[in-house]
Amino acid sequence: MENSTTLQFEKPSFFKRLKGMLGVDFYRLFHTPLLYIFLVIAALIPALVSMGAMGGGAEGAATEATAMFTNAWQIVAAKGPLYVENDIGDYANMNMVFIFGGIMISIFIGHDYKSGYVKQLFTTHSQKQDYMISKTLLGAFSMACMCVTYLIGGMISAAGTGLPFTVNAGSLICAILGKMIMSLGWASLYTFINIIFRSKFGISIALCFVLGTGIPVIGAAAVVGNTPALNIFLYGSSVYACLSSSFVSVIVCLAVSVTWAVIYNVLGTVILNKRDCY
Amino acid sequence: MNAIEIRNLSKSFRGMHAVDNLSMTVPVGSIYGFIGENGSGKSTTEKLICGHLVPDKGSIKLFGKDYTDAGVRARVGALIESAGCFPNSSVWANLMMQALNLGIKNRDEEIKRVLKIVRMEDNARIKFKSCSLGMKQRIGIAMALLGNPALLILDEPINGLDTDGMRIMREIIVDITRNLGCTVLISSHILGELEKIATHYGIIRQGKLIQEMSAEEMDARSRVFTSVKTPHVPSALTVLQRRFGDVRYEDECIRVYGVDDTESIVRCLLDGGQKVSEVQKNKIGLEEYYIELMSKKEEA
Repeated sequence: MENSTTLQFEKPSFFKRLKGMLGVDFYRLFHTPLLYIFLVIAALIPALVSMGAMGGGAEGAATEATAMFTNAWQIVAAKGPLYVENDIGDYANMNMVFIFGGIMISIFIGHDYKSGYVKQLFTTHSQKQDYMISKTLLGAFSMACMCVTYLIGGMISAAGTGLPFTVNAGSLICAILGKMIMSLGWASLYTFINIIFRSKFGISIALCFVLGTGIPVIGAAAVVGNTPALNIFLYGSSVYACLSSSFVSVIVCLAVSVTWAVIYNVLGTVILNKRDCY
Repeated sequence: MNAIEIRNLSKSFRGMHAVDNLSMTVPVGSIYGFIGENGSGKSTTEKLICGHLVPDKGSIKLFGKDYTDAGVRARVGALIESAGCFPNSSVWANLMMQALNLGIKNRDEEIKRVLKIVRMEDNARIKFKSCSLGMKQRIGIAMALLGNPALLILDEPINGLDTDGMRIMREIIVDITRNLGCTVLISSHILGELEKIATHYGIIRQGKLIQEMSAEEMDARSRVFTSVKTPHVPSALTVLQRRFGDVRYEDECIRVYGVDDTESIVRCLLDGGQKVSEVQKNKIGLEEYYIELMSKKEEA
């Protein structure tokens, strides 16, 4: 038994703290159904999209829906980097993962606050920056996994559409890689939103949904046109990763994603440090 | 060295002072009973110590270091309001998550150890939401005990528990201090229970610490009195007041404060032509002391 003279306080390093926090988050992620539900949802989205493309509805609707795509891979990414599109089909691609990812992150973080578990974390050595980083990495991992199940679901679904699979393989890989990289930026944004609204995750879900659909960027594009300047935003870069992508798109996605992740993590840490935990 | 040293701590919510220039000292190895009425600032103070709230001003030191120091914080455990567990996860999973967070190496053994301390070994696999209130409180303590904490902060851990639950909780807290060398800061409304375990007391009122003392000092301040039951209260009261200084009619009996010589009281009453139906020696406990202190502050 220790007494007052033998009490020892070993300061944990940043990596030890982060490892602990990531351990908690990933343990919870794999031991609760949330991730698995969203992985299934991500796999089902392209099936629903391709059902529309195949004309699963009234005759008139079928003609309209078939016109959504000219290539099977459009289920994964749009033809080109256009922020204002005429066809709804150009919005219906892997970018939808970011909408559902926002909902998943909101539920995950919201339960941290709702259950009061966040008290346990912050009572011990966990620092606020560890919390932000851990949740961002967890969100990025989850959305990247959702991108993979979306891709698998998309490939299976696209096979049934009868549309041609002809595509530049390099561009396709760059587009998929770019979108997966964008998961990091999106996750940091959603984490930031959630530490503002905390247990009120209904508001977080709504806000994540609005931002995930890219409405603000699409709105801006409607005014300023299809300018590459919009690539500085998360949605802009996510659109930029398309079927005409090159390796430059991957670099742009990486730069934008990391930059926003840093910005949102710094802002989130400042807010967590200045505000009461709950 | 003190486990907790707070100086001039203040915290307000929308202009309302929840904690107002509070200073307190919790010695290492003590069980510090933190007493105060609802809304007096107990929980706010505890949340400030735990780092859940950001203070407006003042300093908090834990074991001589700033309370934000990660090294010190790694050895602080708390049960504030609720256990802070995920309801749909099992008791084991909740403890495992906290063990992972603390970077504990032998997690399975450590979880078994804390479950044994709180007498929950047989309930590890049930979902947290299926546990009774008493079990949830004990799980909260088990969470706080992971990683061998040097300081344990418990906010109303015995509230809502039945008699047996209170006894178990009391034994657990005493065990923790004696066997693990842990300092415990515990707040409670159930002063009778607190009196059985606390080695130090702090009394808080309207966000200010109005008194701090050890159990020995409390004992010394506790006043003895003799309670007398008689059929003719007004005349007996007059007779006793003539002979003894502090005589009052309280709780349906006459109380003679500062006197434990029952013989002289009975003789005085009989000499004065009074009848005596019951005489009993008493001592003011923590609860009465607290009530008296509060009423004095109220009058002031």
